[in-house]
Amino acid sequence: MTELTLENVTRRYGTVAALDGVSLRLRAGEVHALMGENGAGKSTLIRLLAGLEAPDAGGFRRNGGALQTDAGPGLRVLHQELTVVPALSVAENMHLGAPFPTRLGLIDWRRLNARAAGALLRLGPAHIDPAVPISRLSPGDRMLARIAATLLAEGPPPWLYVLDEPTAALTAAEVDRLMAVIAELRAAGAGILYVSHRMDEVMRIASHVTVLRDGRLISSQPLAATNEAGIIRDMTGRDLSELFPPREPPPAAPAILQVERLAAGAVRDININLQPGEILGLAGLSGSGRGVLLQAILGAVPLQAGRVRLAGQPRARSIAGAWAQGLAYVPRERRSEGLMLLQAIADNIALPHLGRLARLPGLADRPAAARLVERESARVRLRARGPAQAVGELSGGNQQKVLFARALGGAPRVLLLDEPTRGVDVGARFDIYRLIHALAQTGTAVLLASSDLPELLGLSHRIAVLQNGRLAHQLPNDGLTEAQLLTLCYATKAPA
Amino acid sequence: MTRLRRFASLLGMAAIIAFFAWQLPDTFLTARNWLNISQQVSMLAVVAVTMTVVMAMGDFDLSVGAMASLSGVVAATLFVAGWPVPQALAAALALGLLGGLVNGLLVSVIGILPFVATLATLTIYSGAAFLVSGGRTIFGRDIPQAFSDFARGGVQIGVANGRPLLLPALTLVALAVAAMCWVVLEQTNYGRRLYAIGGNAQAARLAGVRVTLLRLSAFGFTGLGAAIAGLMYAARVASANPTQGDGVMLTAIAAVFLGMTLTENGQPRVLATLAGVIVLGVLDNGLTQMNVNSYLREVMIGAIILAAVTLSALSRRRR
Amino acid sequence: MSHLFTRLAAASFVLATAAQAETVAVITPYLAQPGTQFYVEAFQARAGERGWEVNVIDTAGDVAAVISRIEDMVTANVDAIVINVDPAQVGAGLQTAAEAGIPVVGMDAGNDPLVAANITSNGYAMATETAVYVANRIGGAGNVVMFTFDPFPPVQVRGVMADAVFGNYPDITVLDRITPDVSDGGIADSRARMEAILAANPEPGAISAVWAAWDQPALGALQAIEAAGRTGEGIVITGIDANPQAREAIAAGGNFEASVAQDFAGIGTAAADTVARLLAGETLVNRVIYVPTVLVTAANAAE
Repeated sequence: MTELTLENVTRRYGTVAALDGVSLRLRAGEVHALMGENGAGKSTLIRLLAGLEAPDAGGFRRNGGALQTDAGPGLRVLHQELTVVPALSVAENMHLGAPFPTRLGLIDWRRLNARAAGALLRLGPAHIDPAVPISRLSPGDRMLARIAATLLAEGPPPWLYVLDEPTAALTAAEVDRLMAVIAELRAAGAGILYVSHRMDEVMRIASHVTVLRDGRLISSQPLAATNEAGIIRDMTGRDLSELFPPREPPPAAPAILQVERLAAGAVRDININLQPGEILGLAGLSGSGRGVLLQAILGAVPLQAGRVRLAGQPRARSIAGAWAQGLAYVPRERRSEGLMLLQAIADNIALPHLGRLARLPGLADRPAAARLVERESARVRLRARGPAQAVGELSGGNQQKVLFARALGGAPRVLLLDEPTRGVDVGARFDIYRLIHALAQTGTAVLLASSDLPELLGLSHRIAVLQNGRLAHQLPNDGLTEAQLLTLCYATKAPA
Repeated sequence: MTRLRRFASLLGMAAIIAFFAWQLPDTFLTARNWLNISQQVSMLAVVAVTMTVVMAMGDFDLSVGAMASLSGVVAATLFVAGWPVPQALAAALALGLLGGLVNGLLVSVIGILPFVATLATLTIYSGAAFLVSGGRTIFGRDIPQAFSDFARGGVQIGVANGRPLLLPALTLVALAVAAMCWVVLEQTNYGRRLYAIGGNAQAARLAGVRVTLLRLSAFGFTGLGAAIAGLMYAARVASANPTQGDGVMLTAIAAVFLGMTLTENGQPRVLATLAGVIVLGVLDNGLTQMNVNSYLREVMIGAIILAAVTLSALSRRRR
Repeated sequence: MSHLFTRLAAASFVLATAAQAETVAVITPYLAQPGTQFYVEAFQARAGERGWEVNVIDTAGDVAAVISRIEDMVTANVDAIVINVDPAQVGAGLQTAAEAGIPVVGMDAGNDPLVAANITSNGYAMATETAVYVANRIGGAGNVVMFTFDPFPPVQVRGVMADAVFGNYPDITVLDRITPDVSDGGIADSRARMEAILAANPEPGAISAVWAAWDQPALGALQAIEAAGRTGEGIVITGIDANPQAREAIAAGGNFEASVAQDFAGIGTAAADTVARLLAGETLVNRVIYVPTVLVTAANAAE
């Protein structure tokens, strides 16, 4: 059996040690979870494994051989943000880097597609058509195609797969498929180093778990020897009990947000009432219409029917008007829908509030904007060099905090959140949960769409479940379990 | 890294000036020469700073050169038709604004790529300039004295070698347009929102920016700027022909790109664009004075632009 | 190529050479045009004989840049500037040069108080030469069709001279004085107009000659006559400028019999000589200097 040991691996950038004397053992045939907050050293470790950098001290030993500065052949690193060639088919993308089968010097398309389909079938996901352009595939299916592609390369298949945040962009159903594929790979004798923030996934598939913090190895042990609370304590130095603050029911008050018979996009016949201070969790499978519903309430998707009222008043026609009325929105895709990545934190935060801050009509009031940015950055506990730093240089968690600072800048009455902790490390997740909780306590109504079931159950007063664009259930969050909620997402009627 | 890039670009610009000061010790660093340069680049500056407004949104406008030609021949044709100078100029400027807004409509409301939309309007405006002028150069008595005298006038700021030193009127026009664009882009919410659109149009929309309306209106700046530059050109050469502004488009885009190598995050900004314009003007002026062959001069200027942008691209990749 | 290297080398030593030799700048927006190249090459050749440093600047069609480069050359304190562009369009630059006391010479540029001398061909003489050629060929009697273009001053003077010549022959009648549409160069519309005249005067001998103020209408008239099958009537056609297409038609020995060629190289040489006179401190009384032109007929069209 192949194994790779890291011995006292150290990597410095300037005076900062990104990795400081880390030793651990990776074995074929096991799923090894690597956990840690942003900045813990996970990315550096992956770069060393991939051979992009060499350690400053320590090294790798393969199967008990000599100490080397590289991890040797047979590793395959798959990054969270996969690069694909959108115009090419799935099969062509899978063959990039491997020779295309040819006949008479021309590409043999039948054999190309057949080989790709064979590789996909060996891992399980037979629903992917190798002949379609890869741009039509969901992020999850792209990931599966990329993993299957490793079986097509010449030479022996990799003995160790390094999956870096593979589920960051995936829906729950896609995560299930990925888990099945990982199980398949392990059964075939390969090892997996699984780097993720998501506790539930790690608990599901890992046999071994290693936690890094501030470049140091905190723990490396079989999963059976620890538990969720222990891992979180190792990662953060804090206790799990703080993750979800205790929630209190909101005081009875007239509805602040009224959604009546709303239809927009694939969403139909939605009725929602939200009280000030209330957190309504919006559950549903991928494609159930959660994102569209939030955007329709904001005014970014035109309504085909129904209406939206804020504190009894009709919602403004424009998105700008909706923000001015006290609606705030944190989009699901923070890079494509949320942030101007090359621009300063301050510009990103102040954007929706410029009109309100103007000294004279139209003239930018930079001091007032700077005060707002400073206040909101502190409130969301943003960690950055300063308001002029480009947002793209921040970690995922801090980028998400910039979006929260933007949403909070106008003292919103209703906050629309779409996957607010997606791709966010545990530390930032703490801060975001505390923030949502504090907002609700000061009277802000929150509509929280999420595919993270513990998050929905931990934060919400009530839960609404969407199925195929329709509101299937609305129920109070009293003693609901994850399993029950998942059942509701699939079931057509409420459990008895 | 960003700082290094900006530093390197600035250093390069300083090196160019130092080189000319060394090679041309008697003439280059004189007030008169710099006033000359300021006048020579004034038309380019107007087009480039207004181009900066649309480039802030990540768009660009290829039709500015054709619009500059068109506004010149329209004003000259109206002079011939007996219109008073102010009315003829106002009509030409209004046409420029309208032409810009047509570009904006095509890009933002209809959703055509700026490259395609403004390439098409480039052809239309250029054809219109030929139609209006009948393909001829309008000059001589047809151009009112007051109009061409404006381009030769200025505000006296001193005396050198027994000759008055004038701050040229065209330079003052360029400064006024640059100041207006600077205020719009840097000091108004409108400008901040244009940068947001350039950063991420979808994110800006979801944050309440009226993307369509802003994109449409911003193209009015390039159209108006092109018309102003076309009139400046016509006044300077006391004539108008249907191709005289054509060359300014590519140079203006080059000036903005040069400026972008100076700014944080590589954004187009008015003051940086002005620096780019001045570098291009200084190169033309200095290399001409050094008797460098005209064609070699163009090759060298192109190479310098390429060097600056390459440096910028490399440093961004390293990040 | 060696030219480029000379320039490069010259660039480094500009100050050293400037101290010894006169420097003259030739500034034109039209260097790419064939006539201009002849001027400039002849100018450079003569300037080389005199040991001058010549800086040829082409602004590639940009007239405003001509002004800018004149300003730069004034700053560089050259001894003289030669331009090849309408002085009315570069008045701002001429003003700058005049203030600095630097003489400006025009090569086929036009007259202007700020231009010390303009070296050009004599339009009056060229028109007279072809008009007299026509009158002599038809024996001082017959019907003549004229193609003129009065809106453009240099061409307008040609028409005036032809009017005078034909008016002086009592038996010559000007059948029509046509101003063709020149937006396509003048050939097509001239042909159409000529076809109409031919149709209106069908009998042989009704038209003796076509006098055109430049070559394109002459070529259009020739096409019309050929298309009408009336080449045998001995209709005499003349043009002015002797462009390559006209030379070809003349050399072929058809109805198109004569045109007048300007001596471009001679203009360049004369411009250099004029600069030399100015540099020697001479004041030019006559500010327009004409270079002789050459009548082109079948005998010399191929040269």
